Amino acid sequence: MVGLSIGEQHFVKGGIAQDLRTDGRKRLTYRPIYVETGVIPQANGSARVKIGGTDVIASVKAEIGRPSSLQPDKGKVAVFIDCSPTAEPTFGGRGGEELSSELALALQRCLLGGKSGAGAGINLSSLLIKEGKVCWDLYIDGLVISSDGNLLDALGAAIKAALTNTAIPKVNVSAEVADDEQPEIDISDEEYLQFDTSSVPVIVTLTKVGMHYIVDATAEEESQMSSAVSISVNRVGHICGLTKRGGCGLDPSVILDMISVAKHVTETLMSKLDSEISAAEACEDES
Amino acid sequence: MSAKPGAATPTYSPKVVGRSRLPIFKDSDLDWSRPDGRGFPQCRPALLQTGAVSSASGSAYAEFGNTKVIVSVFGPRESKKAMTYSDVGRLNCNVSYTTFASPTLGQGTDHKEYSSMLHKALEGVIMMETFPKTTVDVFALVLESGGSDLSVVISCASLALADAGIMMYDLITAVSVSCIGKNLMIDPVTEEEGCEDGSFMMTCMPSRYEVTQLTVTGEWTTPNINEAMQLCLDACLKLGEIMRDCLKQAASASDE
Repeated sequence: MVGLSIGEQHFVKGGIAQDLRTDGRKRLTYRPIYVETGVIPQANGSARVKIGGTDVIASVKAEIGRPSSLQPDKGKVAVFIDCSPTAEPTFGGRGGEELSSELALALQRCLLGGKSGAGAGINLSSLLIKEGKVCWDLYIDGLVISSDGNLLDALGAAIKAALTNTAIPKVNVSAEVADDEQPEIDISDEEYLQFDTSSVPVIVTLTKVGMHYIVDATAEEESQMSSAVSISVNRVGHICGLTKRGGCGLDPSVILDMISVAKHVTETLMSKLDSEISAAEACEDES
Repeated sequence: MSAKPGAATPTYSPKVVGRSRLPIFKDSDLDWSRPDGRGFPQCRPALLQTGAVSSASGSAYAEFGNTKVIVSVFGPRESKKAMTYSDVGRLNCNVSYTTFASPTLGQGTDHKEYSSMLHKALEGVIMMETFPKTTVDVFALVLESGGSDLSVVISCASLALADAGIMMYDLITAVSVSCIGKNLMIDPVTEEEGCEDGSFMMTCMPSRYEVTQLTVTGEWTTPNINEAMQLCLDACLKLGEIMRDCLKQAASASDE
């Protein structure tokens, strides 16, 4: 991370106060988003998302597993994030672990919703094959290749695109077996089911610099932040998850204002992402 | 535990933390009655005690209903030689559960992140510049898990840090709210947490009226979030007063 001099810090903060950031954007404008799906052929679904200089890859793998005894009617989803040392030399070895676990936790919170499953982006019951015996385990992996700020939004978008691209093979449960035996399952090679991603939320991170909030902060803007709030909003306009980062305290009215700004920004971001993802899928189908 | 009534440290008597605001949701919608008979905006009675661990620099014990937590603070101590020089202090947090903390043996995996969440809650409020080159260790042990564990751990940790004399900008208090159907209930117990539709945990500095940490899961509409925030702020202010009283009592008792 290149340090900023005092003059540069004033320039960044002053620009944000005047609604003109260092790269010419307004406070609530995103950098151009580029989505590519199907980048990893061995995975059930994958996507690569580039927001400005931030480059992330998300992949979804589905494996046959056993539902947990606490929730026998639901499948399982696990989210892992890896911050590669190619993004930052400090990420090598144990360095990126704290950031990775923080990102994975925030994403898991947004995707899986409350304990009862309300507000979940992924319907866990749809992953079930046979109650109490067989289910799909989804392993969602995110890889950060290049980091220029706003990792959480990029990973959220990549996971959404990867889930849209995911094809889960159809499973036939063959032969009725006794309750305590594992049923035989036949995984089809031909037929696939597309994942339903209409309720997967997008994540918007609002970074507070001075008295104003910006959306999609670059790495140098993030170094000047006092605090950041990441809000995940779904298509209906409900909040699916909220995480506040940064040690500075925020007035409660500021947080409520941030939530309304995030909802407003989500409308444009959701439609932009949807069009990008469908364009990417169309591109992939042609090739 | 340590002092019983009559010994040097007086036991702080539990006080019912009730809300005087009327709940916004109508009572006729009630289809969930709380297992311990509380109203929706009512917190559990809190027992707070400092000086629970005599060998630590500072410690606190908190009992919120069935959730029992003990936190001990060691420091500022010399940083390990392997760590690089730092002109601000370091904070090291660890939250662990005893094996008998929950009815079923062994814990769910979602408690591993409590250590980092406690760290995030505390790092914004401790004045790290006052203890350069040293480390403050905060160890929290959940003796019994009865719901809202992380909120109780955070409040108890801030009490322990105050007991240890670590300089802070303000005490921090944490409260969580659960959403089940249309109902918002504050300070949920384990049964309510197990079937909640959403959870809202807020950590705030009561005197400065600022929110330091906010974690929301599940699906929330904006009016629900407003309502939950208001409930949490009221409860945090009240809990802050109770914590201050506890510290004042401990200080006056040691003066005698």
